[in-house]
Amino acid sequence: MASPTSFEPQIYRPLPEIERADAIVDRITTAIALGLLKVGERLPPEAALSDMFGVGGATLREALGELRERGVVETRRGRSGGTFVVNQPRPQPTTIRDWFLSTSVSEIRDIGDEHSAISATTVRLACERAEAHDVDRLQELARALVLATTPEERAPADSRFHIELAVSAQSPRLTDAEIRLQEETVQQLWTPLPVPFDPESATAEHLELVRAVAQDQPEKAQKLVLEHIRRNIFHLIDAKLTLGYAQSVHDGQ
Amino acid sequence: MNPTTEVVHAANALTSWINGVSTEIEKLSRNVATRLEKNLVDKSKVDKTALVGLDALTREFLTRNTFAVGAGAFFATDAVEEGSRTVEWWSRQESGAIGRLDFDLTPGSQRYYDYEKLPFFSTAATTGKQTLWGPYVDYLGFEEYVLTFAAPFSVRGTFAGVAGCDIRIKDLEPLIMPNLRGIASDAALVNASNRVILGNSGLYLVGERIKPGSPDLHRMTLDVPHLGLSLIYTT
Repeated sequence: MASPTSFEPQIYRPLPEIERADAIVDRITTAIALGLLKVGERLPPEAALSDMFGVGGATLREALGELRERGVVETRRGRSGGTFVVNQPRPQPTTIRDWFLSTSVSEIRDIGDEHSAISATTVRLACERAEAHDVDRLQELARALVLATTPEERAPADSRFHIELAVSAQSPRLTDAEIRLQEETVQQLWTPLPVPFDPESATAEHLELVRAVAQDQPEKAQKLVLEHIRRNIFHLIDAKLTLGYAQSVHDGQ
Repeated sequence: MNPTTEVVHAANALTSWINGVSTEIEKLSRNVATRLEKNLVDKSKVDKTALVGLDALTREFLTRNTFAVGAGAFFATDAVEEGSRTVEWWSRQESGAIGRLDFDLTPGSQRYYDYEKLPFFSTAATTGKQTLWGPYVDYLGFEEYVLTFAAPFSVRGTFAGVAGCDIRIKDLEPLIMPNLRGIASDAALVNASNRVILGNSGLYLVGERIKPGSPDLHRMTLDVPHLGLSLIYTT
């Protein structure tokens, strides 16, 4: 009996109407939020951007217009002109709150499981493969987190550190996986909703991790990174429980 | 030491909710059996005509019990006429519509769903009692992280299959978390193999196994026949 599999409705479901301009806005906003594009940086010229995104000039201009309206980029005229990143996109607190309300504890635990798997191997490979200059860079990125003064700056500083750790492991696939995982949770981690996350201890953990990488201690590095992720996930679960289910202690009635 | 009032309160609320689900599953299994016996008349094995009406029965179950994401019946292969359907399962789709779920039931195929070997079927078959299996990732089945309640049914005295329902873990959470959050200390609902179904803090996370031996860990067995559930809590 050639029975169809249960996946059919998943595979053949209608494709979403992706608005290409919106997709560009999302792509650039996320890149800035993750620290892949920095404030002050100039975007490539419009012709090059339409080419790379594979969209027409009108669509690109619509996207840039939206980014300007959000105050994320600014277009300056003249010889040294162009489109510049001027601000960190501010995560909408309502978006973050909605994420916490719509994501279950089991799903948050599962994100942590995947992140643990990716990070454990990443950091072991980093021990083997990182060079002295990688270590210096990681150290600098680790310190950037404690120097950041607002939650909007902490999120990209934190994710940048983890992404660069994967870069120092020399694996494009692990780097992609790390970027995807960071996109999923880093804003939630640093938005002080309801409890702020402590940048000092996160930085201390990052620095200890860099030391283990520098000294090529894979066992120790793996243990540290797993504890680090576990603490992040606990924070997210705590926030979820506090936002989603206020503690209702009974008075014994 | 005696459990505090809040623990007793939570245990009672959980017991009552779970027994409510069990009663619904017993009823579904009884209705499936009655329907089959009526349809079969003199025939001994389940065939296409014997399944008439199961569709309406299951849809009605899913419409009434919104906690369930899927429901229906799995038959013992021996009870079914060669070439007839062995699974009648419906699930609630994203849109809210209820649709039939098809599985790959070809032995030897790469995506073969060998349900007779899965505990929700085999345990119900050997014990003759209702079972609760999960949380588990229902690979090749519904393909989500679920709990399955299943009750065996017989046709003319012979075991013929199980009827049951799936509850998605993420759907279960908002339904029973308020009860667990009524306990001020760390607490969790655990299944018969000491696996966490839901915890009220980051200490006990769904899917984890509780290792015995912690002195300040207490257990209260829930009065839910055959399901083997308990409430654990720290002091």
